[in-house]
Order: sequence, then C-alpha cells, then structure tokens
Amino acid sequence: MDFPFELLINAVVAGLLLGAFYAAVTAGISISFGMLDIVNIGHPAFIILGSYIAYYFNINYHIDPIVTCLILSPIFYFLGTAIYQVYYLSFEKRGQQSLRGLAFFFGVLFVTEVLLLLAFGVDYRYVATSYIGPSIHVGFVDLPLRMLVPCIGSLILFGGLQLFISHTFTGRAVLAVSQDQLALQLMAVDPIRIKRIAFGVSIAVAAMAGAFLIIIQPVEPSVGREYIGRVFAICVLGGMGSMPGTLIAALLLGVIESITATFYGPSWAPAVSFGVLLLTLAFRPSGILGR
Amino acid sequence: MANSITIENVHAAYGSVRVLEDVTITVNSGETVALLGTNGNGKSTLMKCVMGIVRPVSGRIVAEIDGEKHDLVGRTTEQIVDLGIALVPEGRRLFPKLTVEENLLLGASRRKARAQIKANMDFCFDAFSRLAERRNQLAGSMSGGEQQMLALARALMLSPRILLVDEPSVGLAPLLVSRTIDAIKQLKDHYQLTVLMAEQNFKQAVRIADHGYVIVHGKIAFEGRSAEELNNNDLVRKLYLGM
Ligand SMILES: Nc1ncnc2c1ncn2[C@@H]1O[C@H](COP(=O)(O)OP(=O)(O)OP(=O)(O)O)[C@@H](O)[C@H]1O
Ligand SMILES: [Mg+2]
Repeated sequence: MDFPFELLINAVVAGLLLGAFYAAVTAGISISFGMLDIVNIGHPAFIILGSYIAYYFNINYHIDPIVTCLILSPIFYFLGTAIYQVYYLSFEKRGQQSLRGLAFFFGVLFVTEVLLLLAFGVDYRYVATSYIGPSIHVGFVDLPLRMLVPCIGSLILFGGLQLFISHTFTGRAVLAVSQDQLALQLMAVDPIRIKRIAFGVSIAVAAMAGAFLIIIQPVEPSVGREYIGRVFAICVLGGMGSMPGTLIAALLLGVIESITATFYGPSWAPAVSFGVLLLTLAFRPSGILGR
Repeated sequence: MANSITIENVHAAYGSVRVLEDVTITVNSGETVALLGTNGNGKSTLMKCVMGIVRPVSGRIVAEIDGEKHDLVGRTTEQIVDLGIALVPEGRRLFPKLTVEENLLLGASRRKARAQIKANMDFCFDAFSRLAERRNQLAGSMSGGEQQMLALARALMLSPRILLVDEPSVGLAPLLVSRTIDAIKQLKDHYQLTVLMAEQNFKQAVRIADHGYVIVHGKIAFEGRSAEELNNNDLVRKLYLGM
C-alpha cells in the first residue's frame, strides 16, 4: 500500500497552524480559569465581539482586522477590569463565586450573543484582506496565508504573555494570587488589583483572538460556543496556569484534529481530541506541564 | 535611624469573643523582643493587629520607620508592609506551587526593595545555602526546615526595617529550632532590624531576646526587662520551665 506521506505532512502542518490559533483563543482562559480560578465561560463571547468589531471596520473603512483589534485591545482591557470589579463586588467578595459567578458569565455570553444577533443578524460574516486567498508553497507543503498570518500573530501574542507572566512583578503575582491572597498582601501586593489587571489582560487577548478568528473562518454570533469545550480542554490538558503547557496542548490538539479530519472525516475530530484529554488526565492528572 | 513599634492599650476580639485585653508592648529600635505564650493566648492575634489583618477594637499601634511615625490602625496590610514592616506568618504561607526563586522575587515586589534584589538574594543564598541549591524546586515540596528558611528569606527580600516572626520553631526538630533562632539573630544583625518574635519555646527565644513579654489569656501577665529577669520569674518558671 502506498502510504499517503504528503497528505500526512500537510495535515500535520495544517494542524500546527490551527493549533497556534487555538493557543491564542485559550490564552485568556489560561489566565482567568487557570491562574485566577475564575470560570469565565463567557470568554468566547469577547472573542466574537472582537471579530465583529474587526468585521465592521473592515467592510466600512477597509481596515485590517489585526490593526483594528490591536487598537481595540486597550479598550477590551478596561472592559475586562470593569467586569472583574463587578464580579468581585457581587460574588467573590461574598464567597458566592462558584455557582452564581458561573451564571453571571453565562449571562455575559448570552447577552453578547443576543446583542450581536440584533446588530448583525444570523448570517455568516467575513472580512476581505489581501492575505485571505493566497498560499505559500514549500515543496509539497501548502501554507495558506489565511492560516499562517493568525499563526504568527498568535505566537507573538503568546510569547509576549509568557514574558509578562514570568518576568514582571505583576506577572509573578498573577501566578501566586490563587495560591494565597493573604501571603500576597504580606508582600505589599493588593491581590484584588492583581486579579483585576490579569482579568483585563485576558479580555484584551480575547480581542486579538477575535481578529485571528474572523481571518480564519466566517463568523456568526453563536460560533463561540464551538470553542468553549475545546478551550477548557486545552487549558486542562496543558496544565492549569502554565502558558508553555497551554501552547503545547493547543498545538497537540490542532495536529490531532487535523490528522483525524484528513483521514477519518471532520466529525471524528472532537471525539478524538476529548479522548486524548481523558487519556492524558488519567496518566497525568495535572496536565502536560502542570505543577 | 530609629525603627520601633509601640502597641498601646490594644483590645481585640473575633465577633463577641475577646482575645486581647489592654495589651501594651514596646519594641525599641534595634531590639529583639520575645512575645511568649502557650497555645491560644493571643500571640498571633497581636501580630495580625500590627499587620492590619485584624482590626483592634480599641488602642493605638504606632510604628516608627526611619524616624518617621505612622499610625497603623486603619491601614491595609499592603500599606503597612510597604512602610517596611514584614511578617513571617504562622504556618509560613509560602506559595507552594512556585519555585524558591519565584517566592523570593515576590518578596521583592515592594518598590523600595526592587533596587536591592540582587544584594538581598545573594545574602539569602549565602545565609541559607540550602535555598541556593534548591532555587528551582517548588516551595511546597521542601522540608519543614527549608520552608521556614524560605519564609524568613522571603520576608527579608522586602528590605524591611521591622521584622515580625510568628512562632518560627513550630514543627521543627530541636536542632533546627536552635538553627532557626540563630538565623534570625544573624539576619537581624546584618540588616540592623527591629524584631518582634512570638514563641512558645522559651529557652530558645530568650537566647536572642533583649527583653520579653508573657501573654496569658490575652493579657500581658509579665514584662521582663532582660533575659535574666525572664529566667527568674515565677510565672515563667511555672509555665515554661516546669519548676
Ligand atoms: N479567626 C478567628 N475567629 C475566631 N476566633 C479566633 C480566630 N483566630 C483566633 N481565634 C481565637 O483567639 C484566641 C487566640 O488565638 P491566637 O491564634 O492569637 O493564639 P496564639 O497565641 O497565636 O496560639 P498558637 O500558639 O496556638 O498559635 C484563641 O482562643 C483562638 O481560638
Ligand atoms: Mg499563633
């Protein structure tokens, strides 16, 4: 039998490109869920919101989605800090975060979806940029720019986040804040301020992921739901709160999904990914790089 | 420059349970003061009052830092630490899933400490060579003695003027207890700290204390102006020395 070597390599490469994008989608959750213990199931809503704003400026003013979202990310940061403040005062401070906090973020997801639905309707929306059609060919390997550009953007974003977490005082405090808040206060650090900043960063990252999303695929208001399960799976698989772990898990999942889709059909991809998640957790409960 | 703590007529309670009654304690600049008391007598509560973790019902707590006086009651814990007062808390409260080095760097978050990170870190690694060997190990996987060393070192990374230590000897083998007490003395001398130390281990605490207080049921039962006085007190003999 002739082994479809070229097909396999192409599937792996496509998976890596997709995986890097998954990493950007998960990065925000890795911060809020992995480091702050905030189960923000509303995170995909902010990604979609980013996509739609990028869409709006693209069709009306022909601005590149990545440029729009770069300019947008400080606004998303402040939106995130405001949302955390509401969450803190209404739930966390009273120790009611587990169930009511979850309901709160579900509400955020739902309301955002409905608003986008009212504003833009149910149709799929997409952007027009010079890099959406063409591909680069390296030998027999096909690199569509539509995937390559978000991949490179995601990796840069990810590298920046990792530097922030591991090399700044604020970043290290973000790693510590869920472990012992009083101990952090004894280091002259206000834990609530740290959580507010970190949550703001997670939402700013969502704006960037939104730009990448609408470059990769057309978007409709509820498309974020497709990502909720996958994103939490990557976060857990990588090891809670580990950025390098998240990146490895995202690439792994991208490659697995791509190979499965190529050889067995796309409908098998989610089943295989979650199978890998369950197997990994059976042998390594703390995830790939969990501490 | 002078660094001292004055605690005047402090009363504290958890809800309706009164824990401290009319506590008055002075820690003069450059002194090591021992706060002696058996379980549940209010040592930790007093430490928490100083650090703004528990708010006294009444009374004053004033810290003098580099000659400048600050009223501590009503300030947040972060503000008090930022003034230059560090606490090594009961139970050490390290960040178990961070490495030794990350724990130490968090100690240097205070703005005034950032300039001295390297000098402080070198000193800590010099004083506690174990920490240097294990700088990349997770704090939670270290032995009790190593964790106590790390807790002390992390507090020093703050470049404090005043150091509060809550029961450093808890859970340590006798040899480690005396080493830990020696380490506190060494750190104090090197950084010219003012130290308030809560302890149950009377003999070890008195070894390095300039003077001390015995706290019983939330009240100061005895003040010893010197180690000598503490050693010869009847109450102390009864409570700690089994005589
Ligand atoms: N958070 C709290 N809520 C209610 N009561 C408390 C609380 N913390 C301490 N207490 C009570 O206050 C009293 C003094 O406690 P504290 O921890 O100050 O004692 P301690 O001298 O430090 O004892 P130990 O040597 O065991 O650490 C105890 O009776 C304790 O039960
Ligand atoms: Mg205590």
